[in-house]
Amino acid sequence: MPRRRSDIRTVLKFGIVALAVLAVAPFFLDIYVVNILIRALLLAALALTVDLLWGYTGILTFGQSAFFGIGAYACALVFTHWGFGAQWALLALFLGIVAACAVAALAGWLAFYHGASPLYGSIVTLALPIIVTQVIFAGGRTTGSSSGLSGFPTYYWSSETWFWIAGVFLVVITGLAWLFVRSDMGRVLVAIRENETRCAYLGIPVSRIKILLLVIAGTIGAIAGFGYAAFTNVVAPELGGFLLGTELLIWVALGGRGTLIGPVIGAILIDVTSSYLSGSLPFYWKLLIGVLFVAVIVALPQGLLPEVTRLWRRLIGRRTRMADAPTLEPITAQEVGRGTGQPLVVRGVHRHFGSLQVLQGIDFEANRGELLSLVGPNGAGKTTLIRCLADGYERSGGTITIFGRNLGKWGPDRCVALGIGRKFQAANIFATLSVAECLRVARYRLDPPSIWASGTTLRLPEAALRIVEETGLAQSLNTEARHLAHGQKQALELAMVLALEPSIVLLDEPTAGLTRVERERIGAILTSLTERERLSILLVEHDLDFVREISSRVIVLHQGQIVLDGSVEEVVGSELVRNIYAGASLDAGSGPT
Amino acid sequence: MNDPGATLAISGLTSGYGEAIVIRGISLTVGAGEIVALLGKNGMGKSTLLRTVMGFLPAREGNVVIDGIDVTRDAPHRIARRSIAYTPQEQAIFQDLTVGDNLRLGQVESRWFAEELARICDVFPFLGERLEQRAGTLSGGEQKMLLIARALMARPRLMLVDEISEGLQPSIIERLARVLVAERERTGVAVLLVEQNVRFALEVADRWSVLKLGEIDDEGGSDMPNAASRIADHLSV
Repeated sequence: MPRRRSDIRTVLKFGIVALAVLAVAPFFLDIYVVNILIRALLLAALALTVDLLWGYTGILTFGQSAFFGIGAYACALVFTHWGFGAQWALLALFLGIVAACAVAALAGWLAFYHGASPLYGSIVTLALPIIVTQVIFAGGRTTGSSSGLSGFPTYYWSSETWFWIAGVFLVVITGLAWLFVRSDMGRVLVAIRENETRCAYLGIPVSRIKILLLVIAGTIGAIAGFGYAAFTNVVAPELGGFLLGTELLIWVALGGRGTLIGPVIGAILIDVTSSYLSGSLPFYWKLLIGVLFVAVIVALPQGLLPEVTRLWRRLIGRRTRMADAPTLEPITAQEVGRGTGQPLVVRGVHRHFGSLQVLQGIDFEANRGELLSLVGPNGAGKTTLIRCLADGYERSGGTITIFGRNLGKWGPDRCVALGIGRKFQAANIFATLSVAECLRVARYRLDPPSIWASGTTLRLPEAALRIVEETGLAQSLNTEARHLAHGQKQALELAMVLALEPSIVLLDEPTAGLTRVERERIGAILTSLTERERLSILLVEHDLDFVREISSRVIVLHQGQIVLDGSVEEVVGSELVRNIYAGASLDAGSGPT
Repeated sequence: MNDPGATLAISGLTSGYGEAIVIRGISLTVGAGEIVALLGKNGMGKSTLLRTVMGFLPAREGNVVIDGIDVTRDAPHRIARRSIAYTPQEQAIFQDLTVGDNLRLGQVESRWFAEELARICDVFPFLGERLEQRAGTLSGGEQKMLLIARALMARPRLMLVDEISEGLQPSIIERLARVLVAERERTGVAVLLVEQNVRFALEVADRWSVLKLGEIDDEGGSDMPNAASRIADHLSV
């Protein structure tokens, strides 16, 4: 995949400048400052992992300090009890990383399993440092309990050397993280933060990505902790404690979350200032930091860095530079999940919420090349039925078979792999991503995103491309999705669903909020999908004229049951539909215009 | 064209998001007891106009006068207190509250609540049956009905309604049209109605305006014999 050159060049440019500053800094700074800075640089790397998790992916974590503590104790324990030397150092680092990965994987699994609310993640990460500290306390003489371990043999290098090691580590990690968050995969992280549900229905394994990210963040934290222990020669339970974990959040929020550089600078500045103030104002400095924190959060909710860059841009009179929109490249859809046999067979599906029976005894099948409309009064259970077809966890009973394969209890991301694409009733998109980025996130399964670059072309199946072009989205590829008009959001979501190259398309009022002309265009695209590419489309729609024009079959749902299933003429003209649904307006001859 | 007696008088209103200007110099009045429909293609600024009137977006230029009082710089809750009911297009009900609680929030005065509730449940009987149900579990169309019901609860002087007919079954749209007209007769409410459904809009409105690229492109009365075709022309370009 072509890379965006300017990003790599920016990283190299700033990386070299940062390294040059680090190289000469010890010669100009007081030895006391250099010592404080070593600690600050390592903690800044930890703050950076918090920004990756919280700022970009939306996982509010209190627990990154735990990994710092694990890395530090791995070093201290090995050096104290086993031995000292290059091979022991490598072993300690290795053990620290392995332990951190294992803990991160376990915590991630507990926090992000199917159905866990975002609160779980925060509670699990809140408990994590507390557990780590308790384990250290319980370790008796092995871990040094509450007084920690000190005086173990280590490398007594000069402060300058340690400063350079910590500095290079931070610059490398920041550079890599910068490329990562600006890559296509970085956009997926933001998509998860913005709208996890939509991600799952685009076939993105959200839980797996979050766990993997936590493991990576844990690894970085453990390396930083290892470095800290080797440098200071002292470890204490506080290193893995809840207090540090919370302070990290404060640094990230002050620096500007979701900016990477802001948290790094914030961590360094606050940690260095704190060290100074704790000497001269031993009792007041925490109060000062606290007041500053409240002031910044109230006055600048985005943190400091975004304000500084805005001011800078205004001073030098430059506007925010927009990335170039990718070139759209049409491809031929290879329908996902297409097998032999009937696309969709539904038998005895029912759904209840408590005692409320919303769907009962639903039996029907959808054929290839069929546009099946689902009509019925508001509250008949149409959306609930769509939901049951796109998420195996939704139905209370009954079986659903897709191309001969049983849907079972599969989550939405795996239903996508069976060939199902679902469009929600209210436009469901990624608010802060651009139109092009939303579409690229939708291509996650079929065009796996690069983790270090951003593609210059965007491959879209023909149908999705037609939607983008015929609804004017092609002219707004760089517009943030939240600034789109309501109808354009609907069109964008439809294009995202078609970008999945599904074999069965579930559309919940795809044309709500669109004008008559736009409806007709979308109707034409849908009918050509069924006729030319033989897709099965299931459509919930209220506009009976629209239904009449494009459907090949109509199912009427009333009070949770199928009351009619037949050809368009049979259903639309029937007495039943007139009574329960259309009211007088059908006599007048037309639906909404 | 600024009539001092108008319930809502917008003049020269300009606003937008970030660097983008979405509506430019719009002037529009809605008299007491008048229903005005605002039509136009997607992205032309209809919802933006309502948001600016309600104070959710700052006006760059121009002003908004409600009952003779300039509210251009007022916060949304202050504007709402002037007995203005706004029904936005997206995410407008309190999902975790019950239907009853949502309706309760629509009427500030406790002494009028029971009476208004009875009236609303008469119009939308299903709401009366489900007062205890969590509003988020209503279907999409039912949520729309709850939204308009909550707005009506307030006995507003002015209603700003954004695409209320979207996702509603035809018979309910019919009923909604009757309710709006009846409400106007009863309380003299003024309504600014943003719509895609031209037939519904012309059925209830006295006048219509078409918005194009942030400006009013055409306007007229609903009784014009060729109103529907003229609007259709604008929407199809």
